[in-house]
Amino acid sequence: MATYQEFIQQNEDRDGVRFSWNLWPSSRLEATRLVVPVSCLFTPLKERPDLPPVQYEPVMCGRANCKAVLNPLCQVDFRAKIWACNFCFQRNPFPPSYAGISDVNQPAELMPQFSTIEYIVQRGPVTPLIFLYVVDTCLEEEDLQALRESLQMSLSLLPPDALVGLITFGRMVQVHELSCEGIAKSYVFRGTKELSSKQIQEMLGLMKPAASGQQGRPIVPQDPSASCRFLQPVHRVDMNLTDLLGELQRDPWPVTQGKRPLRSTGVALSVAVGLLEGAFPNTGARVMLFTGGPPTQGPGMVVGDELKTPIRSWHDIQKDNARHLKKATKYYDALANRTAVNGHSIDIYACALDQTGLLEMKCLSNLTGGHIVMGDSFNTSLFKQTFQRVFSKDYNGEFRMAFGGTLEVKTSRELKVSGAIGPCVSLNAKGPSVSENEMGVGGTSQWKVCSLNPSTTLAMFFEVVNQHNAPIPQGGRGAIQFVTQYQHSNTQRRIRVTTVARNWADAQSQIQHIESSFDQEASAVLMARLGVFRAESEEGPDVLRWLDRQLIRLCQKFGQFNKDDPTSFKLSESLSLYPQFMFHLRRSPFLQVFNNSPDESSYYRHHFVRQDLTQSLIMVQPMLYSYSFHGPPEPVLLDSGSILPDRILLMDTFFQLVIYHGETIAQWRKAGYQEMAEYENFKQLLQAPLDDAQEILQTRFPTPRYVDTEHGGSQARFLLSKVNPSQTHNNSNGWTQEPGAPILTDDVSLQVFMDHLKKLAVSSSA
Amino acid sequence: YSQPFPNMSQLSTALGGLSGVPELEMEALMPVNLLQERSLLPVRPLEAPEPNLSSELKKVNCSPQTFRCTLSSIPQTQALLNKARLPLGLLLHPFRDLQQLPVITSNTIVRCRSCRTYINPFVSFLDQRRWKCNLCYRVNDVPDEFMYNPVTRSYGEPHKRPEVQNATVEFIASSDYMLRPPQPAVYLFVLDVSHNAVEAGYLQHFCDSLLDNLDKLPGDTRMRVGFLTFDSTVHFYNLQEGLSQPQMLVVSDIDDIFIPSHDSLMVSLKDSMELVKDLLGALPSMFKESRETHSALGPALQAAHQLMSPTGGRVSVFQTQLPSLGAGLLQSREDPNQRSSSKGVQHLGPATDFYKKLALDCSGQQIAVDLFLLSSQYADLASLACVSKYSAGSIFYYPSYHHVHNPAQRDKFRKDLDRYLSRKIGFEAVMRIRCTKGLSIHTFHGNFFVRSTDLLSLANVNPDSAFAVQMSIDDSLVDSSLACFQAALLYTSSKGKRRIRVHTLCLPVVSQLSDVFAGADVQAITCLLANMAIDRSVSSSLSDARDALLNAVVDGLSVYRNTVSSLQQHGLVAPDNLRLFPIYILALLKQKALRTGASTRLDERVFAMCEFKTQPLQQAMRMVYPDMYRIDTMSDQGALHLNDTVVPQPRLLHLSAERLSRDGAFLLDCGSVFYLWVGKCVNEMFIRDVLGCPNYASIPPNMTEIPELETTLSARVRAFLDWLQDNRAFSSLFYVIREDASANSSFFQHMVEDRSEMGLSYHEFLQNLLQQMSK
Ligand SMILES: [Zn+2]
Ligand SMILES: [Zn+2]
Repeated sequence: MATYQEFIQQNEDRDGVRFSWNLWPSSRLEATRLVVPVSCLFTPLKERPDLPPVQYEPVMCGRANCKAVLNPLCQVDFRAKIWACNFCFQRNPFPPSYAGISDVNQPAELMPQFSTIEYIVQRGPVTPLIFLYVVDTCLEEEDLQALRESLQMSLSLLPPDALVGLITFGRMVQVHELSCEGIAKSYVFRGTKELSSKQIQEMLGLMKPAASGQQGRPIVPQDPSASCRFLQPVHRVDMNLTDLLGELQRDPWPVTQGKRPLRSTGVALSVAVGLLEGAFPNTGARVMLFTGGPPTQGPGMVVGDELKTPIRSWHDIQKDNARHLKKATKYYDALANRTAVNGHSIDIYACALDQTGLLEMKCLSNLTGGHIVMGDSFNTSLFKQTFQRVFSKDYNGEFRMAFGGTLEVKTSRELKVSGAIGPCVSLNAKGPSVSENEMGVGGTSQWKVCSLNPSTTLAMFFEVVNQHNAPIPQGGRGAIQFVTQYQHSNTQRRIRVTTVARNWADAQSQIQHIESSFDQEASAVLMARLGVFRAESEEGPDVLRWLDRQLIRLCQKFGQFNKDDPTSFKLSESLSLYPQFMFHLRRSPFLQVFNNSPDESSYYRHHFVRQDLTQSLIMVQPMLYSYSFHGPPEPVLLDSGSILPDRILLMDTFFQLVIYHGETIAQWRKAGYQEMAEYENFKQLLQAPLDDAQEILQTRFPTPRYVDTEHGGSQARFLLSKVNPSQTHNNSNGWTQEPGAPILTDDVSLQVFMDHLKKLAVSSSA
Repeated sequence: YSQPFPNMSQLSTALGGLSGVPELEMEALMPVNLLQERSLLPVRPLEAPEPNLSSELKKVNCSPQTFRCTLSSIPQTQALLNKARLPLGLLLHPFRDLQQLPVITSNTIVRCRSCRTYINPFVSFLDQRRWKCNLCYRVNDVPDEFMYNPVTRSYGEPHKRPEVQNATVEFIASSDYMLRPPQPAVYLFVLDVSHNAVEAGYLQHFCDSLLDNLDKLPGDTRMRVGFLTFDSTVHFYNLQEGLSQPQMLVVSDIDDIFIPSHDSLMVSLKDSMELVKDLLGALPSMFKESRETHSALGPALQAAHQLMSPTGGRVSVFQTQLPSLGAGLLQSREDPNQRSSSKGVQHLGPATDFYKKLALDCSGQQIAVDLFLLSSQYADLASLACVSKYSAGSIFYYPSYHHVHNPAQRDKFRKDLDRYLSRKIGFEAVMRIRCTKGLSIHTFHGNFFVRSTDLLSLANVNPDSAFAVQMSIDDSLVDSSLACFQAALLYTSSKGKRRIRVHTLCLPVVSQLSDVFAGADVQAITCLLANMAIDRSVSSSLSDARDALLNAVVDGLSVYRNTVSSLQQHGLVAPDNLRLFPIYILALLKQKALRTGASTRLDERVFAMCEFKTQPLQQAMRMVYPDMYRIDTMSDQGALHLNDTVVPQPRLLHLSAERLSRDGAFLLDCGSVFYLWVGKCVNEMFIRDVLGCPNYASIPPNMTEIPELETTLSARVRAFLDWLQDNRAFSSLFYVIREDASANSSFFQHMVEDRSEMGLSYHEFLQNLLQQMSK
């Protein structure tokens, strides 16, 4: 039998699923006592080069409230051509096209290796993808120039059949017509006026306003080609659009001393959303917002134009001193929900030195699966590379983006779904598998994921509903089916079905088995998602207290100890790393707002709740590699003890890549040894982390901030703030000769944290 | 021996006070028996009467083409004026194109310290250093600078300064005359591009004409231009220098119109010339496929106002239909079945105050709005015209405009545009009319905003617009022998100079009713009465207005018969100088503006009314009583010799069908239209040599010009036509009408002396007058 490690890996590779528990407690009561809920990280479109989609449609269970898809767990009677649904036990006849099936001639979906399978749906019209650029023109000339170039470049990356559109904004909002020759034409909206979707469509000439005196007459949408004036196939307008972008001017309105430019982001987005929802509901579409500052007027305004009034900080928010926060958030929230209903998504590319209002606008991307990219300037490789990577292609040469997804979850009877945390919104689909106990976005068995890519990962939480006195038959299995329908970037409609099952276990008699089935990495990330989800609505300290309580309870449940003797405390291998993950999570920017602006917090959380397990773990506990003459590069503890003079460190926090040269290395580098032929090996040592960093930079989205620093360098703080402060100015004294560097921090070290945890876990009064 | 400082007032007192009636006056008052006299017309068009002044004063007096009074002898008192029952008023054409104009640059512009009158030929010099104001009689010092005569370059001859030698002069004003730096020439074109406009097809001609005239637009390097187009939305054009192509900005929020860009919509013509040309080249085809039938004129005008507010300037609006969307939308108010009603005519006034309010807002920002209406349907000109009336704009109307079906209108539009675009223009102008103490002005006619009792605000002033004012006599003029009127027009030239054009008219004051009558100017009276009647028809009713016209002639002739004429004649007599009064009034009653009975489209009627308010006298008189000539028999006898051209001068004919003959060809000059009526039996040579057709039957039905043929007769006819044409600002339509053509009626409606659906024949009219007078 394979180890759990192998089992977990196999499952992840095949189904894109990582469960917190791989044996499930068989009763509701036992499940709650396990502290970490039955839950999983699910990557619906995990890249499967080995899985060619099948060219037919899934066979579904005939029961109206089930509709589960035929899968390898189903009992099949090949002679009678009947299959039994493993979720509702309904016996279904196979459709006529399956007449030829037999024991030896099985369709793919019945084979165990196809627990994940993808179907191509041939029905329905083929609609092209849509990319609508919404571009802020209140930029410095240098920034605008860089953005112009990036946008022009992107035209060559878009699928040639994709429709593309352009909206620019500053004090006014301009929707550009792309089909006109000779004269550039655009429709202009006032940046201060909130308009309904209907008004916007009328004003764009997409529908005729009811003529005065003819009220009550239904509004007739005009010729559908009307919207084509604004959205044209890339291959037809790329020259035109390249010119248009080339002539893009800075916002012409004068900005007086002491003022911010008037930036109508709110209206610009509402026009973009209105344009798409009228013309292309339920078509894959990306609204891509490029902005260089906060919205300063009209609906969705985040800060006034007076420079002397700074944009809200965490301090202002805590003091209830952020004037526009609630109104703006409400405005963008409503807009995000409208966008999600239509299956469109919104990306935000915010490049500015100051905050741009991501806190208020984040829901636009969070609810619609859009990207948020944050940078200092459009004229940075960080932005340029990240933006380029949006259009990256997979092994088939197809775009790594999918649109208009819906994710449906079906559960066997002992299980219900409590909710999801990720870039999704509820579709409010009630049904037998919906739990009343909500975690994350719950109360539904279906979620809309407007835009997703191969790494988009949702956390799914479940509730065991089996009563304590209704035990599961030995060897019984619980099953979950994920049905993901989406529009592929090649415009095909596809359905991917993943069916997974885990054994039930009696928590009283088989607690060791359950303990060893614990996936501490997945659990850490799942608990972290719950924590971050809570942090959006609760005060920071409350969230930390909640996390601590859960950790203590888990340690009490699974730790081995003598009462009131902290030194006796021990955790088994399957849980041993978990407290450390929690330690780093507590210090992470997802839960600590100190030293981060509200925009940064929103940005970090945005990425945390959508990345897959590996990336999420890096975010929680950054990776640290050490390079030295003593051997090949090795991962080292994220600890101040790892900072040594003769080492080069490479730290990956997901958002940053930091290369840190130890004191000695830095001196040698300054002396220029690497230039000398006889120190070729030093040159190679310097080069090694750069090459490794480059490899990460190549694939990471968004492109991380790249920091090259050394002992004593001002940017060394990036490293020092992340490592466990095992040596601080408080505990390092002259005579301890421990290697490593002391950290100027009042944070508790991992050791202190663990000591405290042990004390609480073993305490009989806790 | 000549007196160094002739005391003009003394001199003229002597002349004006002459006892006995001068020969001229005698002639003017000669009774004419209207019922007997069949030929009342002079051979050539009537000239203005000469005021009874000394020859010196006559020599320097203002030209009657610029400044004319209904009574060239001013009654001494209001009582005397009342007794005469003739209207007292001035007709002014203050900015007309002049061949010669003394322009004066001087540090001090000499004006009366009390009433601010500009020094003029009719002041008197008490001695070298003092002059007496001819309007308020204050004695003023002569400033040192004025002692120097820049023309003769000599000192000590203030009376020889050009200001004192010319009744019309222009001053270059100093900064005292500016509230802000003079504005640049700024032109905004607002173009209807709705489906209707595309159908009418005017855009091509507009763009062609503007392209041809871009270098003739008056202005200097600061000149700015901009364009707006509109249908159901309003479109702006970014023409910022440096763009590779014009950018069109559509604003659909017509209920809340706004300016969509900063500083790039009104651009320097010099810097953005290529973009302007690109736009004009592209505009005609841009809207070809348009299915937008709506017209958001009001919002477009609001946008124009916002766009022009920072500078002021001229807005030229081209509209082809009834505005149907947004502010200022209008409903059709015309009932085609009532077009020929002899009852009242409704809806002569505006349906909304939107256009007036907008005009006043524009005027306040020194913006004038000129309206070009090119509509085949009713467009409610009565409402639309307000936008120009109150902003000192001009109104042009091309009924039934169509680029293919109506080539005559199309060509006129082209030619009018050529004139319009290149004509002189003055900006941010005010005109003040002062008159001798005792006289006062009470009603103004024309397009302007009255800022105070004697001050007209003219956001733009153009050389083709005229004004009229009504006057009363508040205080007896018994101490004066002369009455003077001074119109001073302060404006910014298209080159950004503040200038003041000053006209001063001097007239004798008389105490005898006969003298008042002898000085009556029948054309000026007719024009002033027409203006008054038009106001009356809007404020009261058309029938009231018509009654008032009839009464005016009844009163005038009654007073003459009862008090002036010593002969106690029976029948219907008129003094010789008023012998055309009844015929003009009859013609006026049959004019489009005031007629009843004949089918008249409401917009055409309203346009005729607008025209009376702004046309210079000569042009207005042609609208009332067109000039008719027989031209197939024209000879060189009495012809004018201008340079190399011989211009025949045929005699005027009465407007009656009995003056026509089938063997003749007659030219009718209605001011803006010429008709060439060709009788059935006209000499074949005329048809061949002038019309270029082999025979009568082959004359095409829609001939709108005559060919250039190398024949004597053709040369003669063309020379005459060209001469007539050259003497007016805008070109006239030209129609050749065959006697047997259906278009005949448009010609015969001008035969006002004949009985028609519009009313009595001249003879019947006289009978009617006689009846009225004997009541
Ligand atoms: Zn089922
Ligand atoms: Zn005076």
